[in-house]
Amino acid sequence: MALLPEQFSQLESLAETWALPTELQRSERRWAAGPDDYRRFYEAMLPALDQVLDYLDRYEPGNIPEPALPLYRLALAFAEAAPHNELYDCSNTVPNSFDARRFVAAHGEITDR
Amino acid sequence: MAAPAEQLKQAMPYTTRYPELGTGPLDVRPLIDPELFELERERIFKQAWLYVARAEELAEPGDYKLRRLDVANTSVIIVRDRNGEVHAFHNICTHRGNKLIPEQEAQSLGHTATHTLTCRFHAWTFNTDGTLRGVARQESFAGLDKSCLGLNRIHCAEWEGFIFINLAEQPRQSLVEYLDGVADHYAGYPYNEATLRFRYSTVLNCNWKVSLYAFSEGYHVPTIHQGTFPSLATLEHTEFRCFGPHSTSGLYVPPVPGLEPTPVTANLGGRLRASNRHRPHLELLPENINPDNRQDFQFEFSVFFPNSVIHLCAGNGYPGMAIFHHQFWPIAVDKTLWEGTNYFRPPETVSERIAIAHTNALHRNAWLEDTSTMEQTYQALSSGVLDEMVLMDEELMIRNTHKHWHDYMGI
Ligand code: FES
Ligand SMILES: [Fe+2]
Repeated sequence: MALLPEQFSQLESLAETWALPTELQRSERRWAAGPDDYRRFYEAMLPALDQVLDYLDRYEPGNIPEPALPLYRLALAFAEAAPHNELYDCSNTVPNSFDARRFVAAHGEITDR
Repeated sequence: MAAPAEQLKQAMPYTTRYPELGTGPLDVRPLIDPELFELERERIFKQAWLYVARAEELAEPGDYKLRRLDVANTSVIIVRDRNGEVHAFHNICTHRGNKLIPEQEAQSLGHTATHTLTCRFHAWTFNTDGTLRGVARQESFAGLDKSCLGLNRIHCAEWEGFIFINLAEQPRQSLVEYLDGVADHYAGYPYNEATLRFRYSTVLNCNWKVSLYAFSEGYHVPTIHQGTFPSLATLEHTEFRCFGPHSTSGLYVPPVPGLEPTPVTANLGGRLRASNRHRPHLELLPENINPDNRQDFQFEFSVFFPNSVIHLCAGNGYPGMAIFHHQFWPIAVDKTLWEGTNYFRPPETVSERIAIAHTNALHRNAWLEDTSTMEQTYQALSSGVLDEMVLMDEELMIRNTHKHWHDYMGI
């Protein structure tokens, strides 16, 4: 069964690997991504970004129904990954940085789906 | 040729306003000496007021926060009782000393619906005002006086929703006296509305002041943050003021010529700037912050002695961000728990939530840049090669902290 609403079928294969529920899982996905992963993600998402956000805005934060969650998580993953394209030359780390794996997202999971 | 005093004034216009701070180099020993670290436990961390919680973390009666304080070898329960009053207690059961609340993390939140806390060892039960409520098989204790066996209380006070504790038997000053002019300087902003929090933490192998000092100046921004924030290259760090051991300053960022925002940041950041809730709210800033009402205000930047750095942005610098702060919790002379927290007003739409995730991710990435220097700095300093460090004018907040560190330590 498709993860995303039909009008976003071009993003379906991205959702399979990027639409992850927790910040830590999405971070791990970024750390494992290569330059081509970042390019594919960005090139497909950027033109669709406004439509994706418009679609999600029919729901309220904290109250997104199960079937729309993959699209929401995909958008979150993109918001978190885009700096790697726009600033870090598609590297999976922030240049000259502390080891991101030692940085704990201590807020845990923010339950605002 | 200008006289040295005039030269000094020209090079260090802010620093020379505070003659008691001097203009010379600072001694390095306080950052590396294990014996001084042992003294800091008593002379600083058991004397100063320490920021430990936001009131919104304890919004409802029965809400509590557990905060580990390695530097004082204790952990603290901060709890709102059924009348809405906030108390702080050592997390130790008065029977045989078990931790009343088992502790997994450096800080955690909890709630007690019954307004009681029960020890897991032999089920002694305490009210959230600290009184001992129930003792299992009380008749088998000879002459037990429950009124003497309440939880061990810690002084606790609130200012603008920031809850502080003081571990001294009798604090030398009330919290407001302690905060000095910084209390007024920061008063009146609706901190309580920024309830969406993202907190990052890590244990750094460095002295707590290496990390604190690195986060106390803007001099590093054009170099350390050129990866994540090339837009900050033009920053102006100004309006320095010292209030006793605390100090504050304003950070402004005129547009970098020829630098356009990147597409995703323009889109997502633009949404927050366009939203009435998350847009820049310069009008909410306290009177003496951004006094010239500059549109390029980034944030007010303050050191709250000893171990907190608080920034007030009011949505104007990083899109949507209301406040953020750092805390530096000493564990050992060469080990520090750093915690950085970003605060936003809660989103009204899903797209706002996603845009907030973008601002937050950029800022987290900038913190990865900041923390990259700290262990290296500490290792190098601990070699003992440098006895002193020289500071420029805009490193004034470090100079102020360092001076008051000496005063507290009596050395
Ligand atoms: S140690 Fe807590 S009840 Fe015994
Ligand atoms: Fe920085």
